Amino acid sequence: MKIANKTVTAERLVRDALEKAKHFSDYHIFTFLNEENAIKKAREIDRKIAAGEKVGRLAGVPYALKDNFLSPEGETTASAHILEGFVSPVTATAVKKLEDEGAIMIGRTNLDAFAHGSSTENSYFGPTHNAFDFDRVAGGSSGGSAVAVALDIVEFATGTDTGGSIRQPASFNGVYGLKPTYGCISRYGVVAMASSTDCVGFFAQTPDDMDVLMSIASGQDSKDMTTLPDYYGSAEPESTNKRRIGIIKDFDNESVDPEIQKALAQKVELLRSRGHEIVDLSMPSLKYALAAYYIIVPAEVASNLSRYDGVRYGFRSKESTTLNELYDNTRSEGFMSENKRRIMIGNFVLSSGFYDAYFLKAAKARTLIIGEYEKAFSKVDFILTPVSPNPAFKLGEKVNDPIAMYLEDMMSVSLNLAGVPGLAIPAGKNKTGLPIGLQLVGPRRSDKNLIQFSKELEEND
Amino acid sequence: MKYLPTIGIECHVQLSTKTKLFSEVDNDARNKEPNSCVSPVDYALPGMLPRLNGEAIRFAIRAGKAMNCEINLESRFDRKHYFYPDSPKGYQITQFYRPIIGAGYVELPSGTRIRIEHAHLEGDAGKLTHFDNYSLVDLNRVDTPLIEIVSQPDIHSAKDAHDYCKELWRLMRFANVTYGDLYNGNMRFDVNISLAPKDSDKLGVRAEIKNLNSFRSVERAVEYEIVRQTKILEAGEKVIQETRGWNDATGKTTEQRSKEEAKDYRYMPEPDIPPIHLTTEFVDEEAMRLPLMPVDYRKKFDNVIANDTLEVLLDYPELMLKLGEINEKYAKNISNLFASVLLAEEKSTEYLNDLPSVKDLTDLAEMNTKKELSSTATKEVFLRLFDPQMKGRGSKQIAKELGLIQENDLGALETIVDAVLAKPETAKAQADFRAGEEKVIGFLVGQVMKESHGKANPSAVQQILREKLK
Amino acid sequence: MDIKREDIIHLAELSDFSLSEAEITFLGGDLRGIINYISQLDQLNTDDISPTYQVFEMKNVWRDDEIKEQEANREQLLKLTKDEKDYQIKVPKVL
Repeated sequence: MKIANKTVTAERLVRDALEKAKHFSDYHIFTFLNEENAIKKAREIDRKIAAGEKVGRLAGVPYALKDNFLSPEGETTASAHILEGFVSPVTATAVKKLEDEGAIMIGRTNLDAFAHGSSTENSYFGPTHNAFDFDRVAGGSSGGSAVAVALDIVEFATGTDTGGSIRQPASFNGVYGLKPTYGCISRYGVVAMASSTDCVGFFAQTPDDMDVLMSIASGQDSKDMTTLPDYYGSAEPESTNKRRIGIIKDFDNESVDPEIQKALAQKVELLRSRGHEIVDLSMPSLKYALAAYYIIVPAEVASNLSRYDGVRYGFRSKESTTLNELYDNTRSEGFMSENKRRIMIGNFVLSSGFYDAYFLKAAKARTLIIGEYEKAFSKVDFILTPVSPNPAFKLGEKVNDPIAMYLEDMMSVSLNLAGVPGLAIPAGKNKTGLPIGLQLVGPRRSDKNLIQFSKELEEND
Repeated sequence: MKYLPTIGIECHVQLSTKTKLFSEVDNDARNKEPNSCVSPVDYALPGMLPRLNGEAIRFAIRAGKAMNCEINLESRFDRKHYFYPDSPKGYQITQFYRPIIGAGYVELPSGTRIRIEHAHLEGDAGKLTHFDNYSLVDLNRVDTPLIEIVSQPDIHSAKDAHDYCKELWRLMRFANVTYGDLYNGNMRFDVNISLAPKDSDKLGVRAEIKNLNSFRSVERAVEYEIVRQTKILEAGEKVIQETRGWNDATGKTTEQRSKEEAKDYRYMPEPDIPPIHLTTEFVDEEAMRLPLMPVDYRKKFDNVIANDTLEVLLDYPELMLKLGEINEKYAKNISNLFASVLLAEEKSTEYLNDLPSVKDLTDLAEMNTKKELSSTATKEVFLRLFDPQMKGRGSKQIAKELGLIQENDLGALETIVDAVLAKPETAKAQADFRAGEEKVIGFLVGQVMKESHGKANPSAVQQILREKLK
Repeated sequence: MDIKREDIIHLAELSDFSLSEAEITFLGGDLRGIINYISQLDQLNTDDISPTYQVFEMKNVWRDDEIKEQEANREQLLKLTKDEKDYQIKVPKVL
């Protein structure tokens, strides 16, 4: 990244980034700008460089932090009213690792409250606008981070992906977005949405930047028992010659926008022309992934959001004379409709009498989906699919139709259920100039090869 | 009584691990300031994740083995949801579907066996203190490791309920998994009790009495419920299924409004903690660490130590451990010193942590059985063994220094006796004795004792006197 | 399956928030639609399939029993609550 070749000072980079951030303020990208601290930190980096002291791999590189990562810089709100005023005394492991390498957070980015959404319209701070069409959604839930990178305010931004929250906004804004293998990056200090599918990941402008970020952020963390033993750094890069690429046949149906199908077909041709083998895959269980996802995830959401009660931190409703009122008012006022929708669905599928028919059933469906991916990866090295069935849609278009909104995640959620990594890759634009994104999917722990191989999909022109 | 009470008991045991179940903070909150043992994880900040304490797993295995329970090699955690300020996460992490401890049994002193249904590992809740129009929340106790022991409904009397709870307490202390401090709530009991006609084969409607924290209150609460429920049934009415609270002052149980109305806990497998898969080797290694249990001591000391003495000493694992090391022929002797001397002392609790060596105790018992020490002298030496100034010197030395060794050498005694009999002032007494005045022998013995400066063994002296005055 | 008005209200109670009349109507409608959608899982045969709750093969992850300095102390934590008294969190009376 820029600072690596010391053409500019860290302070210059940070000031430029902050300038751009303000210039694009009407896009609602940021929930907080970290001006004072960022500039202070930049000066310190410049001093070190001048003094010839050792600096980290990201020394002076400005970045944007999705507002569901805990750190003492600014309020951590997850764009939710109920976390209003919450300044965290602790720092997320991922943030700590980036800052230890000298990266400088210039602001916190907007998201759907608690990452519940695919458009960033469910934010307490209002929607973020698409980088290519102001009237369209940024995608979500990591909409702010995607647009911040797409508008080149920063070179990278953090995100979280529970069912597509990195890949879909990345594809809506024409940048790279990685959802790593589950357990690759610590979730410690990241506001939990669904514990068994949440992944920390990044938005970047190039595969090489993505690789640097992953080598820094990945690794086992004693504060997150579900992190995998380090593998990213030690992974032997495989040759990118003559790979077998799977195309899921069950998907090419009318539900996917023709222009996106065309983009996929073109990339398939490109891969063939570069000597790779294309293999048709049938993965019938995947059509149940979305239903399973919208049982398992709301259940974990309802559970993880139980701690927001106004007692210990964040928003507390004023007019409460009894404890019950405190809970009831705080949660009634503090959650957005989409939060309530998901909490209620979660409590429905977990409630006595429905657990077996819904939650347990979905947990079994998950086993089948995992099995289908394992079978697929015995035949192919990677799978190439669209990220979402359509490009960025209009603001307000789906906000009152939750099912239509959920269908946005049709092709992204199965990866989260299976724990496999997926990289959203820019794949040109449609007639109206909206970015199209494809996702490259690999087996667990293949993150590094996934990133390397994605270069095979770049046209060299 | 024409009704048979059927009682099942759930017992919560706070484990004495150094740190909490899910965070590395001090687990011993006794006499500590409110919220001084709380980590961001216990406080349930957003994005905090549990960090399982492996020692709690080991403790649970030992506790299970102490109750003759199966240890389930595969177990995992679940979330139990309810909203209350004592539960910062909004759920308790427990083991609903796959508990670590399976079926077993506890044998009461009477020999009755109470079956254990299962026992599971879970985090404790915080504490609320209620005032007129507000409550204060202290989270020190949040996620202190607990095991909840669930018995089968095998108990049918207040006494057995009492004995079961007390035996559990002993087992947990022998297994060394809890401080067992009832006053501080280290063990708490929930009692389910129902009455049914003796002949009937199905159970009656049960009441649950929650949060009892002494064996006595368990016994009294059961006694009270038996009377209360009998009255209801006699009147031809129905017992309602409900949770009741126990008031120690009034000696009554009263109906209690449950914490939350909708009792749907929406159990869900805990996604933040990987499952536990134990090997039999791992389990056995922990089981090996268990010392002898009360039931073993009852066998070992049957006909050696009086039952009531033994049952008293079984409340003190430290004493039993020591007693176990002592040569059996002295066990009775020492057990009496423990029961009647040590435990009678004010400082007995201090003494328990600093017991005399096996050698000192053996020497002492030996001197006593050899009549070198009178029983009073034995007690005195025994107590000196706890005296920081003296204990280093050993029983024998202490006995000598205090000049408590009795003179048993018959030859030596005879010369003293002769000397006494030669004294003119004893002439009258001698004559009176010969004339058949039995009681004057006491006077003569006294004289000899005086001559021997109290070191003579009185019974031996009397024998010699009788010989000489025939 | 049929979700009645009282079911919606019960779910809100389980969730510990209450719904305005408007919310009962539109959230209720949404919930019916969503539950209807997820019910399509009935068509998937899962006989003798064991459930998956966590997606990876990890097990027996635990730590040593040692007290460690925590990232935030009592003062930092209690500072976050709206109402504090004598180092405790103050809440309205339980009723």
